[in-house]
Amino acid sequence: MMNKLHGIVFAYRSNPNLRELTQPRNTCSVPYGGRYRVVDFMLSNMVNAGITDVGLIVHTNYQSLLDHVGSGKDWDLSRKHGGLRILPPFSYADKRESLYRGRMDALAGVRSYLANIRQDHVVLAGGDLAVNLPLREIYASHIKSGADITAVCTATPKGAPHSCDYFTVDSKGFASDIAIHPETPSGCESLEVYILSKELLLNLVDYCSAHNISSFSEGVLSRMWGQLKIHVYIHDGYAARLQSVSGYFERSMELLDPAVRSQLFVPERPVKTKDQSNPSTYYGPEAKSTNSLVADGCIIEGEVENSILFRGVKVEKGARVSNCVLMQGTTIQAGAVLKYTITDKNVRVNAGRMLMGHSSYPLAIAKNEIV
Amino acid sequence: MKKECVAMLLAGGQGSRLHALTSHVAKPAVPFGGKYRIIDFPLSNCVNSGIDTVGVLTQYRPMELNAYLGNGQPWDLDRSDGGVHVLPPYMREGEKGTWYKGTANAIYQNLDFLELYDPEYVLILSGDHIYKMDYSKMLAHHKEVGAACTISVLEVTLEEATRFGIMNVDDHDTIYEFEEKPKHPKSNLASMGIYIFTWKKLKQYLIADEADEKSANDFGKNIIPAMLNAGEKLVAYRFKGYWKDVGTIDSLWDANMDMLSPENGIDLYDPEWPIYARTPTKPPLFTGSSAKVSHSMLTGGCNVNGTVENSVLFHSVTVEEGAKVSYSILMPGTVVKTGAVVEYAIVAENTVIGSNARVGAPPTAENNADWGIAVVAQNLKVGDNAIISPKAMITKNVKGGDVK
Repeated sequence: MMNKLHGIVFAYRSNPNLRELTQPRNTCSVPYGGRYRVVDFMLSNMVNAGITDVGLIVHTNYQSLLDHVGSGKDWDLSRKHGGLRILPPFSYADKRESLYRGRMDALAGVRSYLANIRQDHVVLAGGDLAVNLPLREIYASHIKSGADITAVCTATPKGAPHSCDYFTVDSKGFASDIAIHPETPSGCESLEVYILSKELLLNLVDYCSAHNISSFSEGVLSRMWGQLKIHVYIHDGYAARLQSVSGYFERSMELLDPAVRSQLFVPERPVKTKDQSNPSTYYGPEAKSTNSLVADGCIIEGEVENSILFRGVKVEKGARVSNCVLMQGTTIQAGAVLKYTITDKNVRVNAGRMLMGHSSYPLAIAKNEIV
Repeated sequence: MKKECVAMLLAGGQGSRLHALTSHVAKPAVPFGGKYRIIDFPLSNCVNSGIDTVGVLTQYRPMELNAYLGNGQPWDLDRSDGGVHVLPPYMREGEKGTWYKGTANAIYQNLDFLELYDPEYVLILSGDHIYKMDYSKMLAHHKEVGAACTISVLEVTLEEATRFGIMNVDDHDTIYEFEEKPKHPKSNLASMGIYIFTWKKLKQYLIADEADEKSANDFGKNIIPAMLNAGEKLVAYRFKGYWKDVGTIDSLWDANMDMLSPENGIDLYDPEWPIYARTPTKPPLFTGSSAKVSHSMLTGGCNVNGTVENSVLFHSVTVEEGAKVSYSILMPGTVVKTGAVVEYAIVAENTVIGSNARVGAPPTAENNADWGIAVVAQNLKVGDNAIISPKAMITKNVKGGDVK
């Protein structure tokens, strides 16, 4: 049954509000959760629902994403038939050179790929959303509802209202109203994950392309309101969107709460990521590590509290790290003190340095920098 | 299809001295060093040495080992030409098949496999040693001196030499005599169980050995002496570095502890010579607000809220608040409940140590005579307040309050 669903992941956007974190990459390959890239969550959701064919729509700044997903083998998406396909803008280039303005632009850019989809239904989802969705169940509820489109919403809103959509849901689970990017939220926040038939998708892409409509929310949901029957699936687990540096920091720190982790890391739907063959993490004789999430391959000889450490981070003797996110390969040399700081990949903080951000404005150190 | 060098990894051993740990898996599949299984070391050495064709000879309890190796992808051994091949004993037409009678017979039974790749050289490895070694250097030495067989040796003390196969060599490290566990060793060069043979020569001796009904069909006992008697050139290749046979509980525990000190053991963090493993996808480990962790290795999926010192924790181990783990090895999925104390112990996969239970104890002046590492086998429950003495080997559930 599940082989009837195809996955499309949007990975074309670099959110400028993530500043340093999206300089070397687009939002989908921002490291999140200690050992993942954000895109791992949606790819895993799809694979865990039995989806075998996934198209990943990219546009610019995707070298880091390509490095990460590779052939897709870490998600079992390196297949003889189907599997993972990276989709740069092949059918769009002659029409417009600029970035995709929205999802309908992006879909039009890969129109020929969409036409060849083997499955009857397609799930559209952003690669910049960290959530563990039971897509198998959502698909079944879509079929059962008889709706044209199923929209996945969250019960616990997390996004900034002016960049989110909200559905008002009637007693039968169908959308009775939609608010696009409102000032104040009303209804259920959309996770912008949609299931619809391939046929409808192609019709919508062609219609929007002909009418120069770029956005799914405005072009499809709003313009076609009344013509389409939209079913709403409310997911009550944790969902994180990375929309700014401080938002990234807050979403990261929320992972220190065991309740949040249990919603994001569901044993029967594991989040898969690129395998790097790291050894275990070593804690030195004087190490302290409390209330922290630590990936493999770290060497911790100093003190770490309320922090998230990615793979291969070194915290030398006498260094003190609190309320920080240290990405892969970061080295904190002896005696350095860091508070409320995000260090991108391979940052080195030299001995004795002090870096202090604030919970409302964490410091972000760009990739490969030496402090 | 032709390969210069094919590796044959002997992985059929039962590991009877590790019995609580090997009741369900072959010795090479025993977890090691937080993230690995023993077989990862020779396999990764092969890949890092540029050997892309490895036959793994299995016999005892092969299921878990087969599943672990799979298509060889974690070691980059999923090749369309070569790669990793699991080679169990098999039936033959017209005669009864046999188990592998000895190390040499295991290779003999797979002559067809080797002929498929038609190698110039064959590397024989065993699946119970922890070390990092560049086999390509050993092969270069083998070719340079024009040997029929090169045996990797380690310098040991004369006292230790009585426990090993010892190579007696001349000034050019050419072997003139091989002694198995000599009472009065003449040399301190111990065989590491790593051989490179020129394939044509080996094939000839394997066929002759098989024809000899009295032979134990063993490399050390039969093939090597036969080659020496026939005047073949056998040379010793001196290896310097960490190498440990992990065939006993004590040596397995020791070797795990060695991994905590890269200066004593192997540097697992060295990017130049990575050890690969098949590992399940687990979220990062979490150390809670009352966790105390020192001089230890912890792995993804661990949830530690108690005290952990001088220990190696595999993935998904839980140490609850108020529990203490020291000088111990906790294999994947182990749970140590609140108030429990685990010291000088090896606890195998998914075993639960109940609240306030005690497993193992440190060596003291009083218990010195019969002290040892306590071992609890996999998938067991040790009840609340139970006591497991040092050196115990537990293979059945222990009721609450019991003393074993």
